[in-house]
Amino acid sequence: MNLRYMFKELYYQRRRAMIAAFGLSIGIALLIILNALSIAYREAAQIPLKEIGADITVQRAGDVPEELTGAVFPCSAVTLRNEEVKKIGNLPGLKGMGKALLLWVFDADRAWIVLGIEGENSIGPAVLKYSIADGRFLENGKAEALVEVAYARQFGIKLGDTIAISSHEFPVVGLVDASRATKIAVANVYLPLKEAESLAVASKQLQSVSPYAPDDVNLLFIKADQDKISSIASSMKTILGDKAAVATPDSFLKLLGSLFALSDKFTMVASIIAIIVAILIAFKTMAGNIAERAKEIGVLKAVGWTNRNVVFQLMGESVVQCFLAGVLGLFAAIVVSYGLSFMSVSIPIPWEMSPTPHFLPGGGDQIFKTLRLPVTVPWSLAIFAILLSVIIGGMTGGLLGRHIARIKPSEVLRHD
Amino acid sequence: MINSAVLSGVGLRKSYGSLEVLKGVSFAVDQGEFACLVGKSGCGKTTLLSLLSGLEKPTEGKVSLGGKEITEASEDELALYRRENVGFIFQSFNLIPTLSAWENVALPLFPMKIAQEQQRQRAMEMLEKMELNHRTEHLPSALSGGEKQRVAIARALVNRPKIIFADEPTGNLDSATGEAIMSILHRLNDEDGVAILMVTHEPDLAKQADRLIRMKDGEIAS
Repeated sequence: MNLRYMFKELYYQRRRAMIAAFGLSIGIALLIILNALSIAYREAAQIPLKEIGADITVQRAGDVPEELTGAVFPCSAVTLRNEEVKKIGNLPGLKGMGKALLLWVFDADRAWIVLGIEGENSIGPAVLKYSIADGRFLENGKAEALVEVAYARQFGIKLGDTIAISSHEFPVVGLVDASRATKIAVANVYLPLKEAESLAVASKQLQSVSPYAPDDVNLLFIKADQDKISSIASSMKTILGDKAAVATPDSFLKLLGSLFALSDKFTMVASIIAIIVAILIAFKTMAGNIAERAKEIGVLKAVGWTNRNVVFQLMGESVVQCFLAGVLGLFAAIVVSYGLSFMSVSIPIPWEMSPTPHFLPGGGDQIFKTLRLPVTVPWSLAIFAILLSVIIGGMTGGLLGRHIARIKPSEVLRHD
Repeated sequence: MINSAVLSGVGLRKSYGSLEVLKGVSFAVDQGEFACLVGKSGCGKTTLLSLLSGLEKPTEGKVSLGGKEITEASEDELALYRRENVGFIFQSFNLIPTLSAWENVALPLFPMKIAQEQQRQRAMEMLEKMELNHRTEHLPSALSGGEKQRVAIARALVNRPKIIFADEPTGNLDSATGEAIMSILHRLNDEDGVAILMVTHEPDLAKQADRLIRMKDGEIAS
C-alpha cells in the first residue's frame, strides 16, 4: 500500500470520498446515540436506589391493621424476621446491607411516619446525614430524633423541641431536608433503629397483624455485585415468599417505560439496522467510486501491480475513509448526546415504596424522581464505533478491491 | 525462434467466443529492435500487443518474454513480469490524475520495496531525460499533451524495461508534438537499446521503424 498515493487520492477526490463517508457516518452516529440513550436510561434507573447507597431494596407486603392506633406497619412493609435477614446476608455476591424500620404511628393528636435508621451504615437512609438542613445528625446510642423540614414547618416543630411519639419522648437534634436526597425511605421523623424497634415491640396493634421481635426490621437495603443483582433478587424472593417486594435497577427501568429502557433487543435491533443501512449506502457509493476508477486500476495492473497490491491500496483508502466517517459520526453523536442530556425523565416510585399512608392527604399521589437524563458517550462505545468503522472500511475495501482487481487491463485500456 | 529475441510469440490465436481475432500469428522482436505493427482497425494489432505484453493470455500459442515463457504464468506472475521487463505507452497517456508528474513516473515502483526517496530519485532522472525537470510536481491536468506523453514515456522507462509497447503513442498529439515523441522513442532505442514495439495507423511514423509488420484479418500479411 502506498500512503502517498492513498492520501492524494482521498485529498483530490475529497468530494467523492466525503459522500461515501457521510452515509456511514450517519449510521455510526445513530448507533452511538441509540446506545448512549440506552445506557443513559439504565443509569437513570439506578439513581433512585443509588441515592440511598443501595442496589436493591426489599420489603414484604402484609395485612392491613384493623385499627389504626399507635405504631403499625404500612401494609406494604411488614416484618422481615431476623433469621430471614441473616439468610439474605449470606447470599453470594452481596457486598453490604442496611436495615430500617418504617412505622406509621397514629397518636391521638397526630400521625407520624417514623423511620428507624442505622446511624453509621453508609447503605440505607443514613445517607440523610448529608441532607441536614439545621442541627446535627443522630448520635450513636442516644434517644433523639431528626424531623423532616417541611413536616417541622407544618407543625411548628423547632430544633431543640421535644416530640412525643407513642408516649416516648425524643429531643429534636436536627432538621433534615429529605427532598434534597432521596424519594425512597423518607419519613417525617427519623429515630435510631433501636428506638423504632422499641416502639414496634410495644405496639399490640402491630404485633397482632405482623408479629415482631427486637432485631427484626421491615426494610432492607442491599449493596451487591452488579452482575449478581438479578440472582440475589431472585434468591430473596425465595427466602421471603411471594409477598416480597424487591426493587432493582431493572424494575425501575421497566417503570420508565421508554423503548430504550424496555428492551435491550430494541436498541440492538435498531443499532444493527442503522449499521446495515449505513454499510449498504457506503458500499454502494464506494462501489460506484471504484467502478469509475476501472481504467486507473487497469493502468496499475498494466505497469505491474499485482491483484494483491491493488486490493491493499483500495482497502487502505476505504479504511481511512471509513475511519473518518467514524470520527465524523462520533462527533455528531457527541453533539446530539449533549443536546439530549438536557432532556429530563421522571422515574415513578412504586406505591409500596411510598412511605405516606394512601388515606392521608397526598398519600395516594404517584411520586416521581425527576432527573436530567445522563446521556454521555462512554469511551468504550466511542472506541467500539471507531473500530467498527475501520472494520467496515476494511471489509468494504477488501470486497470491492477483490472484485475490481479481477478486471483485465487489456479490456479497460483497449479503446485508447 | 531467434536467439536474440527479447520477445516472441509462436502460433498465437485469440478468440472471443466464436470471433477469432488472431489466427496463428508467430512473431518476434529482437533486442534493441524498433518494430512497428500497422494495419486497419480491427485487424488484431492491439490484441497481439496485449498477448505479447502479458496483458492477456492467448487461446492458443506461446509467448516468451526475456527468455521466459509466460503463457502459463498466473495473473500475479504476469504482473511481476510486466513490472520487471515491460513498459507501456498508451494513446491517451493514462496518467493518474491525482498524482504529480514524478509520482506518475514512479507508479510502477510503488509496490516495490524501494525507499520513497529512491523512487523519487529514479522518477526525477527519467523526467530529466524527458526534459521535464521543471514539471515534476505538476498534476497531469496542468501538463500539455506532449508533456503528458513524455511523462508516460518516463513511466514506461522507470523500471528499465527490455521492451516498450507503444499503442498509438502519437494518436492524441498534433504532428509536431508527435514528431517530438517519435524522436524520443528513437533516442531511447538508439542510445539505451530498448526494444520498441509500436502500433500505429500513420504510415509516415511506421516508416521510421527498423521493421514494419503489416497485419490483416488477424494474420501477419507481410
